[in-house]
Amino acid sequence: MNEFEVSLSLIVLFSLFANTAIALYGVFSKPNLVKKLISMTILSDTANAFAIVIGYRAWPSPEESPVPPVLTNISGGYAAVQELAQRSVDPLPQALVLTAVVIGLAVTIFLASIILHYHRTHGTVEMVVSG
Amino acid sequence: MASRYLIAVSIALVVVSLSFAVAYGALGASVPLEGLRSLARAYVTLAYAPWNRTLTVMSPEAVTSIVWDFRGVDTFFETAVLFGAIIGTVTLFRGIKPSARIGEGLSAIARSAAAVTAPMILAVAAAIALHGHLTPGGGFQGGATAAVVALVILVTFSLGYLVSGLSKERALMLRSAGLLGIAAVALIPPILGGIVFQNQAKELSQFSYPAYIGGALTSGSLLFYNLFESLAVAAGLTLTIMLLLSPHEVVEEAVRGEDHERI
Repeated sequence: MNEFEVSLSLIVLFSLFANTAIALYGVFSKPNLVKKLISMTILSDTANAFAIVIGYRAWPSPEESPVPPVLTNISGGYAAVQELAQRSVDPLPQALVLTAVVIGLAVTIFLASIILHYHRTHGTVEMVVSG
Repeated sequence: MASRYLIAVSIALVVVSLSFAVAYGALGASVPLEGLRSLARAYVTLAYAPWNRTLTVMSPEAVTSIVWDFRGVDTFFETAVLFGAIIGTVTLFRGIKPSARIGEGLSAIARSAAAVTAPMILAVAAAIALHGHLTPGGGFQGGATAAVVALVILVTFSLGYLVSGLSKERALMLRSAGLLGIAAVALIPPILGGIVFQNQAKELSQFSYPAYIGGALTSGSLLFYNLFESLAVAAGLTLTIMLLLSPHEVVEEAVRGEDHERI
């Protein structure tokens, strides 16, 4: 990889890690439970985006872009599969992210219902006044 | 005040050093990768390979092949986490019956638009789920899309309207039916002499789900897993949405009833 490509990926990685830092700051320092929940969703989305960045690949050549790991030409036989492997991105991070997104949705609903109950019992979503 | 600056500076240092480390190969490879890793290459080339019948999944979609075949047991436990969270929500709302009182809902225009779009969303959800082994998509995505229909009906018509068609018990039953279906598809191979979660025939175990049904590529068990997973996810998410948006008074009453029991 040349210097230009390294600096491009540096920008992407820097923004992802900065996002992670902001999300962690939100989870640790905000007393408001709803804000903590929002920070947690930012954290999980950043983790998913990071997995996708790792699974992405450099362009095989300036004319050919990477393609999704789906074979579109079933009747192409062995040659079509080899051609796909030349251009396809890594399918494994995508498979992990796919389940992580749906699980994240269910966990967010679960946490939201806990916060809702907390608000019903204590009349607030701030952590400091509980106890 | 000084500790505040210390925290800010240390966070900035961590961010900068981590991004430099990863960009210059701390993960053992450049980001993005120059080519496919050998494992990823094996997944992509073996997903659809009729010339290699003992290793292939017979699905042109490499991601679904990984989700339900290459790493099927992973997905099984990920599904367990998903339903753990849903069961947790249902437990928190125990004793609460979403009221069947049908409210007015939104205006006639909004209701007509929802009545037209709801079946369309459902059709798209079915297409995403049932074509999961051919095109991007699958049971998780199809199920989550189908749950949107419940949300649309709930907002435009009212919770009572939704509950009159799909009660809490019925949603629980549908979710359990989906999970039982997944378990059945996973356990049929060992009953018939194969391995748990087996799809196509392997060197040591000849059991195989049919890759083609009536000339259409179904990729063996992938179609059934996607079907049952979409059913379970749609019913589970609909159930949690229904409980989460129950009216305040209904929940209040149930919680108060619990206090009386405790006394």
